[in-house]
Amino acid sequence: MADNWGYVLAAYALAALAFGGYWRRLARREHELRQIIAARGARRPQTPYAS
Amino acid sequence: MLTQTLGWIAAVAVIAGVAVALGVAPREATQGNVQRIMYLHVPSVWVAYLAFVVTAVASAVYLRNRAAATDRLAHATTEVGVLFLGVNIATGSIWGKPTWGTWWAWDARLTSVSIVFILFLGALLLRRATEDPERAARSAAVLAIFGALNIYLVHQSVNWWRTLHQPPSLLKAGPAAMPGAILAPLLINFLALGLLAAYFVTRRVRVLAAEAEALA
Repeated sequence: MADNWGYVLAAYALAALAFGGYWRRLARREHELRQIIAARGARRPQTPYAS
Repeated sequence: MLTQTLGWIAAVAVIAGVAVALGVAPREATQGNVQRIMYLHVPSVWVAYLAFVVTAVASAVYLRNRAAATDRLAHATTEVGVLFLGVNIATGSIWGKPTWGTWWAWDARLTSVSIVFILFLGALLLRRATEDPERAARSAAVLAIFGALNIYLVHQSVNWWRTLHQPPSLLKAGPAAMPGAILAPLLINFLALGLLAAYFVTRRVRVLAAEAEALA
């Protein structure tokens, strides 16, 4: 049987895209949420007398 | 910090796994090099099964204790399991074309594994579609438990029906029908993908906790 390296590379490339894409999505979402939480923390008064 | 370390370990393991699969493992006598897809295709389904078993256990525990942390674990493992099962189905299709002459066949194994994929994907969509988070978690938990029970059907499909897909080589009674030179790279890749899945689950749980905190 022919070696079909093209199919092998396609399978590994597809998996790399899927896993890499998921990793990127998690990193992006985590960054967004960190910013939201930090912004909310900054808006909150630090002491009862601050406002 | 622990998640980051796990991520680096997983990255190194995955690179090593790919190097072993494409460079070290022997060329299979019948199929040639295309059989190297197996080192990605088979471990990804094992990892997906493991993730779904964790989902089912976490879902059952959630239905009893209603703890948000348990639901977050069920949610994260469902998502990661769907990702790995999706990779398994796609790589199986790519492997099927040169070996079976078709990208897809409605054979018992392929059909049953697709049903499991759709059930868990449905659990994720259910979470998005339901407004009340507690109701969403409950419905997803019930669907996930039902989905996990179907894994047994997927495993037995090649024994119960005559299929295009080959019967199990390892997860069966009796000695493994696989030489060590092929078994070792397979197990290395299983470990590597298992570490990657553990990293994804840990990180997804953290994101879900941050989402809950942001929405509170």
